[in-house]
Amino acid sequence: MAIPKIPEFKAEWKEGEEGRWGMAVDMDLCTGCQACVVACSMENNVPFVGEAEAGYGRSLGWIRVERLWEGQYPEVKMTPYQPVMCQQCGSAPCEPVCPVFATVHSQAEQLNVQVYNRCVGTRYCANNCPYVVRVFNWADFDRPDPLPNQFNPDVTVRRRGVMEKCTFCIQRIHRAEDQAKAEGREVLDGEAQPACAQACPADAIVFGRLDDPESRVSKLSRSNRGSHLLEELGTQPRVTYLKGGSNDRLG
Amino acid sequence: MTDSFTRRDFLKVMGAGAAATVLTGCGPASRYVTREPYTKMPEYTYNGQSTYYATTCRECAAGCGLILRTHQGRAIKAEGNKFHPLNQGKTCARGQATLHGMYNPDRVQFPAQHARGDATLTEMDWDAAIAVVQKALQDPQGTQFLLGTASDHLFDLVTDVCQAVGAPSPLRFGALSMFEARATLGEASRAVFGKPDLLFFDIANADLVISFGANFLETWLSPVAYTRGYAQMRRGDVRGHFVQLEPRLSETAAKADEWYPLLPGAEGLVVSALGKLFAEQKFGVAPAAFEMVDLAAAAEASGLTLEQFERLAALLLRAERPVILPGGAALAQAEGLETAKAILTLNALLDNLGKAGGVFHTPAAPLADSYHRPASAAEISALVKRMNAGEVNTLLVHGVNPLFELPAALGLEAALQKVKTVISFATFPDETALAADYIFPDHHGLESWGYQRVQTGAGQSALSGSQPVVVPYYNTRATADVLIAAAGDALPFKDEVEFLQSKVAALVEAPGGFYSAADLPSFWALFQQYGGWWQNDSSASAPSAAGALEKKLTFHAPEAAHAEGEHEEFSLYVYPSPILAEAGANKPWLQEIADPTTTVMWNSWLEMNPETAHHLGIEDDDVVRVISPAGEVEVSVYRYPAIRPDVVAIPFGQGHTAYGRYAENRGVNPALLFSAETNAAGDLAFGGVKVKIEKTGKKRPLSRLESKMGVYGFGEEH
Repeated sequence: MAIPKIPEFKAEWKEGEEGRWGMAVDMDLCTGCQACVVACSMENNVPFVGEAEAGYGRSLGWIRVERLWEGQYPEVKMTPYQPVMCQQCGSAPCEPVCPVFATVHSQAEQLNVQVYNRCVGTRYCANNCPYVVRVFNWADFDRPDPLPNQFNPDVTVRRRGVMEKCTFCIQRIHRAEDQAKAEGREVLDGEAQPACAQACPADAIVFGRLDDPESRVSKLSRSNRGSHLLEELGTQPRVTYLKGGSNDRLG
Repeated sequence: MTDSFTRRDFLKVMGAGAAATVLTGCGPASRYVTREPYTKMPEYTYNGQSTYYATTCRECAAGCGLILRTHQGRAIKAEGNKFHPLNQGKTCARGQATLHGMYNPDRVQFPAQHARGDATLTEMDWDAAIAVVQKALQDPQGTQFLLGTASDHLFDLVTDVCQAVGAPSPLRFGALSMFEARATLGEASRAVFGKPDLLFFDIANADLVISFGANFLETWLSPVAYTRGYAQMRRGDVRGHFVQLEPRLSETAAKADEWYPLLPGAEGLVVSALGKLFAEQKFGVAPAAFEMVDLAAAAEASGLTLEQFERLAALLLRAERPVILPGGAALAQAEGLETAKAILTLNALLDNLGKAGGVFHTPAAPLADSYHRPASAAEISALVKRMNAGEVNTLLVHGVNPLFELPAALGLEAALQKVKTVISFATFPDETALAADYIFPDHHGLESWGYQRVQTGAGQSALSGSQPVVVPYYNTRATADVLIAAAGDALPFKDEVEFLQSKVAALVEAPGGFYSAADLPSFWALFQQYGGWWQNDSSASAPSAAGALEKKLTFHAPEAAHAEGEHEEFSLYVYPSPILAEAGANKPWLQEIADPTTTVMWNSWLEMNPETAHHLGIEDDDVVRVISPAGEVEVSVYRYPAIRPDVVAIPFGQGHTAYGRYAENRGVNPALLFSAETNAAGDLAFGGVKVKIEKTGKKRPLSRLESKMGVYGFGEEH
């Protein structure tokens, strides 16, 4: 009896290969203002869950701005604000555990995508994500009329029992790609902007193509200030975090 | 069309057309917005194609330019206008959430009459509403307008109305301007620089920023523009150094390289001591302004050590382009005016006036005879006195919620009872609207025409324009149109648009504009298309501080809180919530945003040093009673690691008793704790309030992003 071929469900990813889309977050500039979080929620039809549910950790925001405390008063310092969203791993731990192929790697954008109408809500992916960036719709959260007027028609409205997470605003990437294709050219650097990067008043979030060595995000990703979150896990995250510097004369 | 012109080619052409119309304005022909059936789509609207409109954000008075993405007649996303000189394509969290104000289920949906305090509204028609306003204007002496800080076009119109009928000039107020102590800054600017104009601090080009409690990354003056300045400072050839002095580590202080927890009220002493140290080391002698201060006494009163003073003075000596910022909390003190003068004088001593990285006068805004600063607490008190004396028969309120934003100690609530008729133009049933006799709802800002003067964050002279991006959702009417109709022949305008055009006409010929046009209709179209008008080049001017260094400044040590015994006292530090600010509490997504420092959502909290809490036997989420001479509130404790042990802090923004389902009965309003005491410039001296803390034995868990522990049992009695 022939052994049935198990379909390939994990991206064919070669070590050292550049992903197409990537992000750089300059933590020296991030002021923790949360404009990215609101912008993301408005763009992606993310519901609010209310005080009690939020307290149980069921907020659905796709980005969170992390901060920790170091030391004790008066020598107390806050660690730099760090916006954490899906790191769009090249080798994503969430992908192989999904029993229904709802969390897959797209070949075209080389992004980690979530197929809402496949998701059956096992939450294995969230369990396996080391960055804790996947959020689950524990209920159909109430958005009374006329709030739904504001829904973005480019983004699916998710229902109860579905896992969701940052998509790098794939609808905006597609819009920019379609535009460029219609005009017979490549997508320009900065043309595709996720809502977070577009809103960021400090310009701390930079988005673009990592396979273009001249793009802003490529240059920042090569910076010696850069690092990746939990890169020792071998997840090959596509988001680079830049730490701050100091002033030689004054610092 | 040739045979070779395929459908694909057609789509390409359509695509190019869409790209060219990213900024779409209303042509002169589309001055009036009407409801149309879908078979007859509004101009520029195609099925499946988004239309973008330039307008102005009204979430605060800064006047950032927005581009609203609309789709089939619905507004779906607010984005920054990248041509706009103030925000250059960026927005803050409140700007992003502005749509939750427009598409909010709790807006006032029709003109209404109601018994004061009763939330049940009886619908009226607009003709009857206009008749009510008309009747008020027939008694001009007894009519008083109280307006918010946005929008400026309405302030200009109301000023015209008041002049035409002979009513007293309108007053403006906003809680953010109270927290920024605008009157104090203006008065200090007049005393030191000879002009009461607003100031611009060029932190983008500074290499050292020392800020006395200026929360410029949160709400101060123009947070989006100052955040951009901060980013430029950090990203310059030399990474700028940033020092913040304030009693608690704010979101802004979290970005500082050095934070010094200063006792509230000691700012003036510290500024003077720094000025003295700097001048003695640089020039060998201190100027008269700072020579009075005793360094040891300043150290004693402020809680800083002598080494820390030496460190700060050394920074000033080594810096090439230093600038000192006067935060609102430093000025809202009994000696706040002197503190403001000291900070401006120190800037003069550092020789940064009118230089890159220094202090500037912002240019006169277009269409303004002078800067109309929001009213100080003293000016509001004068109004309350007139109301109590029965001199105000009709109070008309627009764009401000004084019953929530003003300290209860000013006595406005009682004074309202003496006013025969109170008319509110609020879009939301807020506290003041419910205390009014009539609510004649204005459109939401995104459904409105208008303009806002950009006065706090750009070097260019700029006027930010508003246009309706969608058809008004409810049976609301532009307050400007209501007033124009009520004023009748007293005003020469038919409607709001005609009024705006008559104002904007002055700019058609103005030099140095971002665009120019031959006639008013073309100019008006460009004004809508780009979302305003501004000059290409900065016209910020250098202040002159002749003689300021010779004027003596004296400060006293702040009154210390009683630290010992049963009746332990704390200094109360109130700051505007960086997320909610003065009017964000009605927007559900803003409520759900975690506070940048504490990560608390949907509520208020009291920040207390963990050592103090331990000493008092208080744990996280314990409800305490905070008692000041003016009032008391009950609030959950958040043990905050970066606050002085003798200071407790509460954010301002929650504690509504009305204002829609997302704001009501949530958290506490710290303005209830303020006394009516003012400083020499008339601003509220809320920085000196002392409070006592009492345990209640209750626990009310706060929802926080940072931890999922501690909320189980939420809502249960303990």
